[in-house]
Amino acid sequence: MGNTKENANLGLIDTDIHERVMYEELLPYLDQPWRRYITDAHWIQEKHMPYTQPAVAGVDRADARVPDGRPAGTDLGFMQEQLLDSLGHEIGVLTGALDPSPSSMHGWYEMATALASAYNDWQIDKWLDKDERLYGSVHIAAQDPAAAVKEIERVGSHPKMVQILLPIDDILWGDAYYHPIFEAAEKHDLMVGMHHNEPPLHYGKWPKYFIEWHTLIPVSHMNQVTNLVFNGVFEKFPKLKVMMIEGGFTYVPFLMRKMDQQYKDLRHEVPWVNQMPSKTIREHFCFTTQPLEEMTKKEFMQILEQMGSEEIVSFSTDYPHWDYDSPTEALPPKLDEELMRKLLSENARNFYPKLQKKEG
Amino acid sequence: MKEAVKEIVCQEEDLQPGEMMSATFGRHDVVVCRASDGHYYAFLDRCIHQGAELSKGKICGAPEPTDELGEYNFQREGDILRCPWHGREFDIKNNGCMLANEKLKLRNFKVVVEDGQVALTK
Ligand code: FES
Repeated sequence: MGNTKENANLGLIDTDIHERVMYEELLPYLDQPWRRYITDAHWIQEKHMPYTQPAVAGVDRADARVPDGRPAGTDLGFMQEQLLDSLGHEIGVLTGALDPSPSSMHGWYEMATALASAYNDWQIDKWLDKDERLYGSVHIAAQDPAAAVKEIERVGSHPKMVQILLPIDDILWGDAYYHPIFEAAEKHDLMVGMHHNEPPLHYGKWPKYFIEWHTLIPVSHMNQVTNLVFNGVFEKFPKLKVMMIEGGFTYVPFLMRKMDQQYKDLRHEVPWVNQMPSKTIREHFCFTTQPLEEMTKKEFMQILEQMGSEEIVSFSTDYPHWDYDSPTEALPPKLDEELMRKLLSENARNFYPKLQKKEG
Repeated sequence: MKEAVKEIVCQEEDLQPGEMMSATFGRHDVVVCRASDGHYYAFLDRCIHQGAELSKGKICGAPEPTDELGEYNFQREGDILRCPWHGREFDIKNNGCMLANEKLKLRNFKVVVEDGQVALTK
């Protein structure tokens, strides 16, 4: 399946790959007392939703389970075989499996901080150092910005760490309280990647059905984009860019238009915002494609046209999750080659400073 | 007249009701399914959505359509093929039609069972 040669020619950069850790693999990277909270006290990541993804194998593609029975995403060799080699990836950006998700924890930030460090060390050891195509995300416990900055200082200069991961749950990250994180990002040429975890996007709760929640995930992404822009994050951190991961991009034309109209009326409330929001979005955001709605070429091009840019959308598979998008099947057929190159490769390369350095 | 192509893809006992296997038929990868009533069906082993190998999915049942909100009537165990990726449901016994949209269906092949052997024809 797939067209290895074609992807290789286009230099496929996949902006959302979920590697997964088994907790026991984190133990060598954890000091006491943190280690014993896993071994003796059976710590597990808090989860809130009443349902699981109702696909054939829960959250995962049914064919992505490791042949020896381990969960999908836990084995580099199998990921190489099923994804990187078979589809001809040039680069894949790892985004974790949100388990652990230190920045999602509603307390015990000391444990969250220890888990983030352990996860980063494990990620570097077992993935980034093992396959030259793989790039990583710095995990932090963002609820404690000082500890988060320390962790960014510790691992952020790793040449293969391209972004800081902030999950989308119930914290809006644009608040000034979190700005030290953005300052540290700028310092280390890191971008920010935002990926939803379990946002309670129905008035602070979860809807009755998974299909409702999953349909409206983009709302949680819109919350963050709106919040960052109107909190003046990009006026303060002009080098910062944010990759919005796994919310798709078809909501963006609506949001741009709505924010521009609101800004014209309500600029006086946010005088620190000094240009049209749509312009800030074009300059500071990129949106990953998956999960792609089925569209004709014409429909697809209309959305890009309304965004006013072909440069802020970049392809992602979401491997090994159930709503994976295939780089050869998910986009509408017959897109122009130049556009394909932007979507599959160039836009992501231009977004991440460390990938540009790689090319040079 | 051109002679019909016929190829044996498996033995009858290779599949129990509610099971499936991958096979090849000419240049096609196919998935051979045995429905709950013991009959055999065969489809191209490639999902019409994004091309996943259907034989890596699951044969199961499905909650039947209902007029009652909140009613789950899980029926037809062994007759529904679900794709390993996005989980779309295809009705093995109804030409591989997608449950959510009957206008879309899997490409299917004619099956003949003779002397304990399951063959596909064109
Ligand atoms: S590839 Fe089969 S449901 Fe998407």
